[in-house]
Amino acid sequence: MLVSWKWLSRYVDLPMPLAELEQRLALSGLNHESTSSVGDDFVIDLEVTSNRGDCLGHIGVAREVAVLYDLPLRTPIVDLASGRDDISLLTSVSNEFPEACSRYTARLIQGVKVGPSPQWLSASLQSVGINSINNVVDATNYVMLECGQPLHAFDFDALDGRRIVVRRAREGETIEAIDHRSYTLDPAMCVIADASHAVAVAGVMGGAASEVTEQTANLLIEAAVFAPLSVRRTARKLKLFSPSSFRFERRVDLQRVDWASRRVCELILNSGGGEVVAGVIDTAPQSPQAAPVVLRFSQLKRLLGIEIDRDEVLRILSALGCQQVGEAAGRVELQTPSWRHDLTREVDLIEEVARIHGYDKIPEDHPIPVVASAKRPFDVAVEKIRGVLVAAGISEAMTPSIVTDKLDAMVSPWTQTPALATEVPMLEGARKLRRSLLPSLLQSRASNWSASSTHADLFEIAHVYLPGKNADDLPTEQYTLGIVSGLDFYTLKGVLDELAARLGLPSPLAIESTPIDGLDDDWSVQIRGADQTIGYLSVLHPRLTKELKLPGEVTLAELSLGALLQAAKLVPTQRSVSTFPSIQRDLNLIVDESVQWASLEHAVRAAVGTELAAVTYKETYRNPGKDGPDRKRILLAVELQKSDATLTGTEADAMVASILANCEQAVGAKLLS
Amino acid sequence: MSLDQFLGRVNELESEATAAIAAVADSQQLETVRVRFLGAKNGVLKEVEKLFGTVQPSDKRVAGKRLNEVKQTLLQSFESAKESLLSGPARRTGPAPDPTLPGTPMRLGHLHPVTQTIEHLKEIMGRMGFTTAEGPEVEDPWHNFVALNIPEDHPARDPLDNFYLATAGATAGAEGTRLLRSQTSTVQIRVMESTTPPVRIISLGRVYRPDAPDATHFPMFHQMEGLLIDTEVTMANLKTVLRVFANNYLGGDVEIRFRPSFFPFTEPSVEVDFLWDGNWIEFGGAGMVDPAVLTAVGYDPEQYSGFAFGLGVERLCMRRHEITDIRDLFSGDVRFLRQF
Repeated sequence: MLVSWKWLSRYVDLPMPLAELEQRLALSGLNHESTSSVGDDFVIDLEVTSNRGDCLGHIGVAREVAVLYDLPLRTPIVDLASGRDDISLLTSVSNEFPEACSRYTARLIQGVKVGPSPQWLSASLQSVGINSINNVVDATNYVMLECGQPLHAFDFDALDGRRIVVRRAREGETIEAIDHRSYTLDPAMCVIADASHAVAVAGVMGGAASEVTEQTANLLIEAAVFAPLSVRRTARKLKLFSPSSFRFERRVDLQRVDWASRRVCELILNSGGGEVVAGVIDTAPQSPQAAPVVLRFSQLKRLLGIEIDRDEVLRILSALGCQQVGEAAGRVELQTPSWRHDLTREVDLIEEVARIHGYDKIPEDHPIPVVASAKRPFDVAVEKIRGVLVAAGISEAMTPSIVTDKLDAMVSPWTQTPALATEVPMLEGARKLRRSLLPSLLQSRASNWSASSTHADLFEIAHVYLPGKNADDLPTEQYTLGIVSGLDFYTLKGVLDELAARLGLPSPLAIESTPIDGLDDDWSVQIRGADQTIGYLSVLHPRLTKELKLPGEVTLAELSLGALLQAAKLVPTQRSVSTFPSIQRDLNLIVDESVQWASLEHAVRAAVGTELAAVTYKETYRNPGKDGPDRKRILLAVELQKSDATLTGTEADAMVASILANCEQAVGAKLLS
Repeated sequence: MSLDQFLGRVNELESEATAAIAAVADSQQLETVRVRFLGAKNGVLKEVEKLFGTVQPSDKRVAGKRLNEVKQTLLQSFESAKESLLSGPARRTGPAPDPTLPGTPMRLGHLHPVTQTIEHLKEIMGRMGFTTAEGPEVEDPWHNFVALNIPEDHPARDPLDNFYLATAGATAGAEGTRLLRSQTSTVQIRVMESTTPPVRIISLGRVYRPDAPDATHFPMFHQMEGLLIDTEVTMANLKTVLRVFANNYLGGDVEIRFRPSFFPFTEPSVEVDFLWDGNWIEFGGAGMVDPAVLTAVGYDPEQYSGFAFGLGVERLCMRRHEITDIRDLFSGDVRFLRQF
């Protein structure tokens, strides 16, 4: 809202310096954006919150000044000469859409001479950035900027049937607005029409056909109240925003409508002559009054924490336009002003008192009582996870939750149900709520490579959105850890095993081969918890590696933090360490190519009890000349130890024999002799 | 042999042996040197000792003293050379090392600056007894609007200002039944719905608003909101908590001020400013929880009151780390991330 200093001073004295006024207004609710000087005037740009439609006119701002400085407010008195004729004989208004238009008033002016505005009027408008058009249009703009009530003047003779119909737009109906662009309307929109056509989009903009021109002699003056939601939806749909739609969206003063109508007629007559036809057409002359509000003085202290003098409370509220209609012990009953739609409850009045009295009076030395608060186990776990990943040289990224169709289709290990989508795209056409973090991280890795040839090892911790069973269900939001790296598969696997160990999960993690679209089947595994999937680990499919123009193999992993946390034991407890020496034996076993380490290790472990302190994989190598084709040698080490005595060589030999027997039986392993 | 001749021979032995011991690089060489100079049979020292017999008896005292000195010196040099070979590193033989060459880079990842900011905020608020709470990002209109006192005709519900989810029955541009939350106040509603007062939480997480991305706007960002509900909570408590927060976060004694504002879910509502380096910086919004919100979650506004405040995490993060473009935070660009 642009406020002219000179214009403002018509309604309230301004003895204070400009800067002080700006500051006082900012600290009482009208935030000061900037001030510029226009000629011999200052124009102050004030930010008006959406609940304060009353401050979208100079009188409203003047009232704030008057309250803050305890000065009298001067509202212009309208003295409109009554003309001849009777308006009801000359025109009519039919309101067929009262949901969108709660009040419509019309006045007629005959024999006006349209021409330039008087200097004071055009100067006032120009100071706040509005071009002067002619004395009629300028008068409607002036009164709108004076009191906040939008007004419209129609060329009465251009109205078919010389009457007004407030109705829904017809399907496909078009209108050329005064911006000389054509708009297609729909029945959700409210229009002002004459007998045949829409002549204005209600509360938004007038039509070109009934525009006031130099030739116009007779005027119909509209002062009406349109429903905020209807105006907003129409303006949004048409992408047509005006000072008038801005004000209707923030609600106008029902009681001010007739004043504004008379006021604009008076200004037009003063500059353009002519005569006002006697009477007014008003579809809702009896506007309802809001119920009075009770204010208990004790509530001020209860919410604000300070006592405010009762006389000061009443002075503030009365200066703001509240009228005392009742009183009892410790309370008053107040009729709130019609221009303050935001004052309907006791707490609303408390806010008014507080902001005028000044928030600087509220002290800063009222501490809250001490209570204990603890870190959530989730936060403890996530901190550990971040610590391990950072130590592994992997950096944390944050990427948008909404992805393009292309990214969405890339990898989705958790669900095959199609992703949810937003109505409007978030970025570059992205509408899909991601089901996996991996595509976003792959894209980041790819753009790091193309931008700076950097191998980006990245992780992210964020929600993925797994659609529910029914289309209208809220999705399951799974907190997920995604990792994309250039580490080799086993290194990344080692990172995950360390992660598991730090969280108190069994380590190494249990895995199971699982094919996953977009990933390399040879490497794809799911990580198993006791009774659920904790996550996935794999290598990107070479097709995608090529498509993303990534150099070399990409390893990736995605883990559900919920599942991890369920299996986690965040507080480690001590296990006693055996003080007796251990015996280590290397075993070089020849097995078929098809035998995997997991089954071999299982066979080793199954053969010995608690004395088996460790089984360590060393290496795999092949010697087809000696072992034959499709055979490999796996070198492993076992560590044997007792917790209560020194293990003897004989005992160790027996255990190794048992291991070898079990390995041969389970996986056909033979000791290299 | 004359005294001078003998002493000359002794000095020669001393300088030769000292130089030889000093040049030794390993224990094998040292042994060779030992045999050559101190060897029991044919060592140079032995030969010199034999020459001692040819010195005039009147010169023997001076000659013997000098011989003994040199013998002790050589034995000591030998012992200390032996020791330093055992304990110290081998003597350098090649070119001199360059300790000014750069250290081997340590491969350590980086935490995202927004994470670091969030941890900092949680830590400060945690010390004031606020527990962290989180909730879903996809919400229904009840939690995102209705319970927060945002009625149907409120501009905040406009389809163009929210990410409503597409549903089979929905028409484009209409308000839907699910949306990405536009504020973390939804979490406060969920906590209050399931808790009886007192409530003291901070809610944290991603929120979504369809802003065109530029240096200071991104359609996704993080919010932190605080909520305290109890029987005797006042705006003075709110101001005190925010002041303590500001002092903690910014360090030192930070002045704060309230400016009136409007939020549907608080009444009174204020904007909070901090005086930082001589400028008033907008910190976020705050206020006393609106009685309509308390009623919506089943609390009696006559019995309970409370305050709430909210702030944008990115803004604090950017200011702290002098980040000038919010888009960098979500780029995944390692050149950016590794600076933090």
